Amino acid sequence: MKARHLSIIAKKEFRGLLSERTILLAILLQLFIALFSSFLMVGLTSMYDPSSLSKYSHFKYNVGYAGNDSEVLSYLYGSKDFRVFKMDLSTGVAALKERKLAAVIWVPDTSPDAEEPVKITLYTLQNDIQSAIVDVKLKDIFLRYEKVLREVREERLNELPLPLRIPASSGGGDFYEFVYGLLIPLLVFMPAIIASALVIDLITEEYQHDTLETLVSTPVTFSEMVWGKVLACEVLVPVQAGIWLALLMVNGIAIENAGLILLHVTVSSLVLILLGTLTALHYRERTAAQFIFSTALVVVILFALALPANPMNLLTRLAVGTAGAEQWVVLAAVLAVIAVLGYATQRYAERISRINHTG
Amino acid sequence: MGALTDILTIAKWEVKKSFSMMSRDVLPLAVILFVLLVAVTGFSAQAGLHLQDGMYKVGVDDQQIGQLLASDPRFMVYEADEPDLIAHRGDFDLIVINGAVYTGVSSRAGAAQKTLERDYAKYVNSVYNQQDDLFAAYPLWIDVQSVKSELSFLATQSGQYVSAAPVRSAPVPEGVVEQLATPSPTLSVTETELREQLVVSNTKNTQISRYTDALSSSSSTMGTFKTPSQLSPPLPFDSIILVFVFIFPLYFTSQFFMMSIMNERIERRGEILLSTPVAASSIIIGKMLPYFLGMLAICTALTLWIRAPWLILLPLIPVIFFFLANALIIGMLSRSFKELSFVSIFFSTVATSYLFFPSIFANVHVISLISPLTLIVLTMQGSVWTATDYLYSTSLFWLTGAVLFYIAARNFKEERLFSEKGLVTRMREFLSEVLSRRHPFLSLFLLTGFSIPFVFMVQMMCLVLFFNLPMPFSLVCLLLFAALIEEIAKGVGIYTLYVRDPGFLTWKNLVIACGATAIGFLVGEKLLLFVTLAQISDSVFGSILFLSIGSLWLPFLLHFACVLIVACFLKKWGTKGFVPGLALAMIVHCLYNLYFILGWF
Repeated sequence: MKARHLSIIAKKEFRGLLSERTILLAILLQLFIALFSSFLMVGLTSMYDPSSLSKYSHFKYNVGYAGNDSEVLSYLYGSKDFRVFKMDLSTGVAALKERKLAAVIWVPDTSPDAEEPVKITLYTLQNDIQSAIVDVKLKDIFLRYEKVLREVREERLNELPLPLRIPASSGGGDFYEFVYGLLIPLLVFMPAIIASALVIDLITEEYQHDTLETLVSTPVTFSEMVWGKVLACEVLVPVQAGIWLALLMVNGIAIENAGLILLHVTVSSLVLILLGTLTALHYRERTAAQFIFSTALVVVILFALALPANPMNLLTRLAVGTAGAEQWVVLAAVLAVIAVLGYATQRYAERISRINHTG
Repeated sequence: MGALTDILTIAKWEVKKSFSMMSRDVLPLAVILFVLLVAVTGFSAQAGLHLQDGMYKVGVDDQQIGQLLASDPRFMVYEADEPDLIAHRGDFDLIVINGAVYTGVSSRAGAAQKTLERDYAKYVNSVYNQQDDLFAAYPLWIDVQSVKSELSFLATQSGQYVSAAPVRSAPVPEGVVEQLATPSPTLSVTETELREQLVVSNTKNTQISRYTDALSSSSSTMGTFKTPSQLSPPLPFDSIILVFVFIFPLYFTSQFFMMSIMNERIERRGEILLSTPVAASSIIIGKMLPYFLGMLAICTALTLWIRAPWLILLPLIPVIFFFLANALIIGMLSRSFKELSFVSIFFSTVATSYLFFPSIFANVHVISLISPLTLIVLTMQGSVWTATDYLYSTSLFWLTGAVLFYIAARNFKEERLFSEKGLVTRMREFLSEVLSRRHPFLSLFLLTGFSIPFVFMVQMMCLVLFFNLPMPFSLVCLLLFAALIEEIAKGVGIYTLYVRDPGFLTWKNLVIACGATAIGFLVGEKLLLFVTLAQISDSVFGSILFLSIGSLWLPFLLHFACVLIVACFLKKWGTKGFVPGLALAMIVHCLYNLYFILGWF
């Protein structure tokens, strides 16, 4: 096998990709998703954890209070988020409909130590960002009241949970897990999946367009052609994954160990690419190859995910900076799988070219 | 009748062909893989998905607390003495000493604390919901009543905080005060029912359930009653799962359709099909039918599997239709497998985002309704949606799907299918085929009119994208993009005509063509607006996107002027003038919007 032949094939494939300009689509796609991930960060945080946005926190909301006096009323008076007005329930709800209030609370005269629970009725606006924020802020007040009520009724409990004092949270952090534990492994692994689908396209295309004969009549051997295509796809992975990481960082998502992440992705992607190559060599037809490969892909990824310390988990841990020496064990295991698959690919390619020559 | 028989014949043929191709040696392996898939699913359900293991490091001085934390694989728990922990506190995200939690300063530590809070709350609930006296453990219940605002829902979004006016005295409603009955102080649900619900919402503690919770436990028997800790809106992870559960198989199946179309084109294999006396539309529908039924069957099976209401199939049908229409066009447009892969990945990502991102906001905002998936989320939660909602969120899918089918049917013939030209050229040729030579102006009118659903879709996308940028930026971005998209939609028809026949654009024809385009755009826009989008178009954002509904001659003049600019550039500088022309038209369009809608200057 000659390195020059491999690079000739790889270059040919790159030229094909460039001339079709479809690679532009892939890059456009990355930009697009990067835009969306920043949207995710800002949008989700503000929608579901509104207190993290400082612009909402300096804000006093008008709340109507109806029914009987209780400790909730004094909490509301003491809160810097609310301005409370004692009023008639019907008037309050009417004012709420006109958006003159953010919420109306009705408290019954159930005593704190009663048998039955205290049922507070909360009127808020339907489908409204503001009412989502008010809900979150009122929740704190209700939680305080619940704690007081629980203390009053404590003797009636038969078991108490282990005590744990958690400091007041600084806000935010809700999407940390989503970004680092789902988005980053998903995005960084996507180039690997694209590359393995691409290798199937490249190989089956030679068969289905009957261009194989021409290619093999050159000094390039069949297995060199196969490895050249693998090389072309493999080179795309770190490039694309690198763009991802850069885009995420531009979006303000700090990623540790970017170099190691690229290394691991590049190596593990070779497993998928070789699987794709084997499927393509076997079926020589795109629909069948892609179908079998995608199903196999789901099986492989699902299986890998069920294993502790799998490569995807490793990416998460690398990105947050908690990965230790076990990453090298994982890397070695992946390399072992690659060696097996690589050997199988080489043997398979040789067999095919032998059959071609004799037949 | 004849067309129907044709369609059925083609459909049967398509099924037979794909099966004969499949059965060779795909089927045995597919069966093996399917068995493996089931096995692996079972395995991973048992072992859990280890994607987020070991994200946080925690140090504890107490074994019991250590065990409690270690039950969540996201934590790496280290047990040590108090002085050791304090000495090495920099290595940990959290340390727990004597039952008190100390959090580090990094954002990872913040997230670790959030996770701990949730785990601890879950643990506390698991203790509390076993109490004999449930109302001692849960003494407070909140009955949440949603009130429909009489002002526009977008008031807050457009930057006004209506209830924020700093008032000293209690606000007095201006309208009629409706007398409300005093709410009953007792819960209308029994203690056992409440306990069951509390246990159900708490037991799901596995790795996967973090994402799948919403699918199974969403149908609550508790009605509007909540404990205080259940008050905040549920997190959107359910939407993510929904997308993968429902959209992924659809995308997968539409790939086969794409491939089947592509296969007809390789080495002119489809020539036999084209030489039969069957209409192109019958061929397309016939080839599509098996896939459509297959996708419907998959969705039905999924619905059965997650025991969801049948109603969720309704919003899925337009999505299937839309996917198939796009698969058809992509299969007809791409030159090679690589191109097919990239274009289809691109399409599926964009379509998935369009479907997925709005549905994240299903619980908080009406804008989420632009995605049919939101209707599914709502159905699963037991919320009701109306026929108007359905029309609102699916009409764009129906319309764009139909238009794409028409274009495909017109182009399903030899010279288009077997040509080897570039993607953009082919797109132009496809459009060119739709533009009649005998009635060019009428076609321009129709083409522009029917481009409206696409324009709306892209603009909706922009609305979602820019929705969360800070206020002035979001408006500026939206302004520029909305104008650009509209100008492209209007300019593309004339561009196609010009490339087909540069001599066509005499000054007289040019003016008539611009007029036809402008009227087409105006009519399409107004029609679609009146049918569906009244809700969005009421906001400040909407008014930029869709202009004012009131007077007609002003928008007509604007559209006319902008197309005229593009057309003149084309006439003067040829195809090179198209992009500068678009840019100028965009600027004019923006200035108009600024002046008339926002009243700037």
